[in-house]
Amino acid sequence: MIVPLEHVLILSTILFLLGLVCVLVRRNLIMILIGVEIMLNAVGLLLVGASAFWQQIDGQVMVIFLMAMTSAEVSISLAMVVYLNRRKGTVDVRAFDEMRG
Amino acid sequence: MAETTTGLPFLSLLLWLPLLGALLCLLCYRSATVCRWLTLGTTILVLLVSLWLAFAGSTGEAGWLLFEDRSWIEPFGIRYTLGLDGISLLLILLTAFLQVIAVLISWDMRKHPAFFFALVLLLETGIIGVFLALDLVLFYLFWELMLIPMFFLIGVWGHERRVYAAVKFFLFTLAGSLLLLLAIISLYLLHGEQTGVYTFALAALKQTELSFGQELLYYLCFMAAFVVKVPLFPFHSWLPDAHTEAPAAGSVDLAGLLLKTGVYGMIRFAFPLFPQATEKSLPVLAGLALIGLFYAAWIAYLQFDIKRIVAYSSISHLGFVILGLAAWNQTAWEGSLLLMINHGVTTGALFVMIAMIRQRTGTREIDKLGGLWKTQPNLSAFFLLFCFASLGLPGLANFAGEILILVGVFASHPVWGAIAVGGVLFAAAYMLRLVQEVIWGSSCEPFDKSDLCQREWLILIPLALLVVLLGCYPQPALEVMRGPIQLLLGGMP
Amino acid sequence: MELLLALIPLLPLVGGVANACFGSRLPRPAQAMIASGAVIGSFLATLGCWPGAAGDGIRTTLFTWLQSGSFTAEVGLLFDPLAALMALMVTGVASLIHLYAAGYMEDDSDQARFFALLNLFVFAMLTIILADNLLLMFLGWEGVGFCSYGLIGFWYHKGENASAGRKAFIVTRIGDLFFTVGLLWLFALFGTIGIEAINARAAELDPTTLTLIALLLLGGACGKSAQLPLMSWLPDAMAGPTPVSALIHAATMVTAGVYLLCRLFPLVSLSPVALGTIACVGAFTAFYAATCALAQREIKRVLAYSTMSQVGYMFLAVGLGSVSAAMFHLLTHAFFKALLFMGAGCLINLAGHENDIFQMGGMAKRSKTVFWLFLAGLFCLAGAPLTGGFFSKDLILATAFAKGELFFMGLYALGVLTAALTSLYSFRLAYLVFAGDFRGEELPHELPKLMLWTLPLLALFGLAGGLLNLPHLFGGHSWLTGWLGRDGDLLQLPLEMEYLLLSVALTVFLLGWLIAHFRYRKLRVSEPGCLCGFFLSGWRCDAFFDRLLIRPFRVLCRFCWQGVDTGLIDGLLEGFARTCLNWGQALRFFADGKISRYLQGFVWGLLLIVGWFLLQAVR
Repeated sequence: MIVPLEHVLILSTILFLLGLVCVLVRRNLIMILIGVEIMLNAVGLLLVGASAFWQQIDGQVMVIFLMAMTSAEVSISLAMVVYLNRRKGTVDVRAFDEMRG
Repeated sequence: MAETTTGLPFLSLLLWLPLLGALLCLLCYRSATVCRWLTLGTTILVLLVSLWLAFAGSTGEAGWLLFEDRSWIEPFGIRYTLGLDGISLLLILLTAFLQVIAVLISWDMRKHPAFFFALVLLLETGIIGVFLALDLVLFYLFWELMLIPMFFLIGVWGHERRVYAAVKFFLFTLAGSLLLLLAIISLYLLHGEQTGVYTFALAALKQTELSFGQELLYYLCFMAAFVVKVPLFPFHSWLPDAHTEAPAAGSVDLAGLLLKTGVYGMIRFAFPLFPQATEKSLPVLAGLALIGLFYAAWIAYLQFDIKRIVAYSSISHLGFVILGLAAWNQTAWEGSLLLMINHGVTTGALFVMIAMIRQRTGTREIDKLGGLWKTQPNLSAFFLLFCFASLGLPGLANFAGEILILVGVFASHPVWGAIAVGGVLFAAAYMLRLVQEVIWGSSCEPFDKSDLCQREWLILIPLALLVVLLGCYPQPALEVMRGPIQLLLGGMP
Repeated sequence: MELLLALIPLLPLVGGVANACFGSRLPRPAQAMIASGAVIGSFLATLGCWPGAAGDGIRTTLFTWLQSGSFTAEVGLLFDPLAALMALMVTGVASLIHLYAAGYMEDDSDQARFFALLNLFVFAMLTIILADNLLLMFLGWEGVGFCSYGLIGFWYHKGENASAGRKAFIVTRIGDLFFTVGLLWLFALFGTIGIEAINARAAELDPTTLTLIALLLLGGACGKSAQLPLMSWLPDAMAGPTPVSALIHAATMVTAGVYLLCRLFPLVSLSPVALGTIACVGAFTAFYAATCALAQREIKRVLAYSTMSQVGYMFLAVGLGSVSAAMFHLLTHAFFKALLFMGAGCLINLAGHENDIFQMGGMAKRSKTVFWLFLAGLFCLAGAPLTGGFFSKDLILATAFAKGELFFMGLYALGVLTAALTSLYSFRLAYLVFAGDFRGEELPHELPKLMLWTLPLLALFGLAGGLLNLPHLFGGHSWLTGWLGRDGDLLQLPLEMEYLLLSVALTVFLLGWLIAHFRYRKLRVSEPGCLCGFFLSGWRCDAFFDRLLIRPFRVLCRFCWQGVDTGLIDGLLEGFARTCLNWGQALRFFADGKISRYLQGFVWGLLLIVGWFLLQAVR
């Protein structure tokens, strides 16, 4: 393995935190989704790195699962965003709080 | 134990026929007529099968008349075990009969008829399942299965305060049955640890060795479920609301059948599984039963809603039943079980009648009713008959059970017996008030002056015949349950 | 013979069921014909069985009603001399009353219900009489209660009629409770409820138990026979149609208590305490009811109180240990009281449906026949010499006198005083109804022929009833005492003593008549005095019971309902539910629907988990 595991770990942590901050800070629904994607990819990166480090295939298998799941999730969530935009004319999360108890 | 004696799995047939009917009902939901006839056909078929079982089987024996045992969820030791003895046979006959009545009385159901009838049939599967299951998980499954259709029957098709009543009913029974589930699983684990065989079979679990403390704990958990269903004072508070708000068919099923599952659970599961705890608890049971017997009768005396009067009378009668069980001897138990059957028929009939009266007068308020005899003599005559059966007139249904209970109770506990006799007086007090305010007195001018229609004759005549027959010649029923009761009482206190 | 015996109760049952199920579809005469036919058939069957009754009697078992463990109740009939006598009287009187009723109910629209209930009543009464075990007897016992309930409230349009029926049922049921406990106790002791077996083995019991059981039976008898303290239902029961009053509340049902005590006499007689209590209850009721009858205004209420009083005499006789005297008075009373009630029905009709005797008067002119017949009944009631009532009442008093002890002398004195009062109220009734001119305005109603035809027979039986048990003094042979096999009841009094007793009886009869003659020959309307009002309201017993029992009962019910049920139990549950709700309200804060808050929650959770793992790693 050329790249040391530490580097992969640091990179994925930074990526994850970036995604997290994006999710927490942004109010635009699309940006929140992008943040979620970044976090997912950070985890994927970590899995690939770990898989290479331990020379086991499981990590890569899980990444492929993850990619498939992500694509499905994105397609559904983007469709929902479009729908929500149509309903309220905005993609600001503050507009969508009907689910309060 | 005899294995299945006949080729056909009759018990499964009995059990799943109503469910099949329910599914068919849902498939044909577009036509109310088809649903009605389908439901009626199914219930009648179930009645015929159970009647055939009653006449073909060599009844009166102590053991299982029919028995089915198949593997189901093997890894957890859950089996599909059904058994039919004299007691369950009688209760299933009652179930099948009352369901036909329940379908007939809700013949003109306008609101979502398909779902209504499907739920009624689902309820029948649940009740029959409770009376047949011998595996504790299977039993619990059916126990909960009864709850759901009943909840919807009350909550959707009920009267004014239906949602309140439905939720109250649901929460009460659920609270009890969760404790039951807890105890079942715990008992299963304990038995597994002791013997290495993990099973939910009733017969095996009876062999579990328990200290008295453990027994008492399990017993209380089991009884929590059953006592709420019976209902014993002071756990009865759901019943008047549920009865009052339920639609006619729901009230018939509640009073006629659901209450009996509680008693059945006691005698089939709680008592045999935990004999020591049972023995210690009998005086408490008897005390609560006696209190409930009088308490409910006194409350019934002042009610304004005629359905509530009958609901409280149910509590009072079930107090009698539990008192009989607590006396713990053959005669009292036979009386208790007989009274259960009789109460199912008479109270079911009374609820049916109240539905008919409400249809004609549009009210259940006792102050607004009166003088029905003038316009509807036939209806009133039946009402009079059922009311007197309910207050224990000799020769009509309830008396036969009550006197056997009294004889049995008096033999072992004269004081309880002497006190319980007083309950009969108060039964007369509230029932006569009901009769007087509804059919005697000055006329209230019902908007519908028609007397019984053909369908109503069809409902009332079998009920009336049964009330007289069970009162004058209850011997066949007594003989069927004699053996099983001896078995249940044998080897215990 | 067995078949014939079974037919006795079954015929009225079949008639009643037929009328109940199909009566409203049959033509009117058919309803009456079925009902009367059934009862007359039953009477003939009783006559047919009569020869078999002597000695041991005949018995038959139809089927097993209830059997569980050692408890067996069979539908078994026993036709012994006592039962035969009673059955013959009941079917005979009932036949006449059915015929009378066919006339009386001619115009009623609900005739089928009337006859169905009346027939069922006869069935239930015969069940009491013929039952060979206590449970079957109890079936009849409650059955007559039900029919009486239905018939008292027959004209249900008026709420108070139905209320009277309800009162009768509930008050008698209080008595039935004692009967039930007695039955249960006897079964627990003997393991059987057969009447003959119980009587045969009664001597095995210890005295306290025996006394208690006998008192329980007395409680049952008091309820049905309207004796103190369960008497208040009988006057109200007069709300029913007159044939019903005649049949149920005079001739048959109210004597069921006496019959019960006679039936179980071998048991009851073993306890002197119980016998003394029975005698006291009887004597006091007789006196109480006689005083009440003095002040009543409604003709049927006078008769109701007089019935209560006469049944009191029968209880006294049982208490004195003389079954034959009790049965003798029961028989003669049945005849003349049925006659009086049916006569009263005629009089009410003649007076234009007027019940109040102060509004009557001069009725003798409206119908001579009714006048003479009614007078015959009154003479029997008042104990005019040589009538049936005279002999039977005199026998009871003489029995009391013959006992000799102070206690019994007191009872005798009370009995004689009551006899004087009886004579007084009888003639008060006679003068108020028949003397002078009619005071009301109503025109007489036509009397159906059937109503009149039945009276002379009863009058004949009432007047000549003394022949049944004619004492030696009058050249008789006390046939009834012999038939019942109770030769011990025969009195062995010196001749002069008997003459003395006779003269006393004659004196009180004449005394009552004379007072009534001077007081009531002309109606003097005056404000009812304090005492009169007291008697009129039955010694204010209704108000007393209302205060003592009914109001506390209602308070108790209200307490249970609103205090315990809705207050305590539902309140607790409601409180529990409300607590849950409040918690839920408090937790709503965390679920305000804002995505950012939820995400924040995620992050905090993540930090917590990561921190936990870090902490583990550090350790």
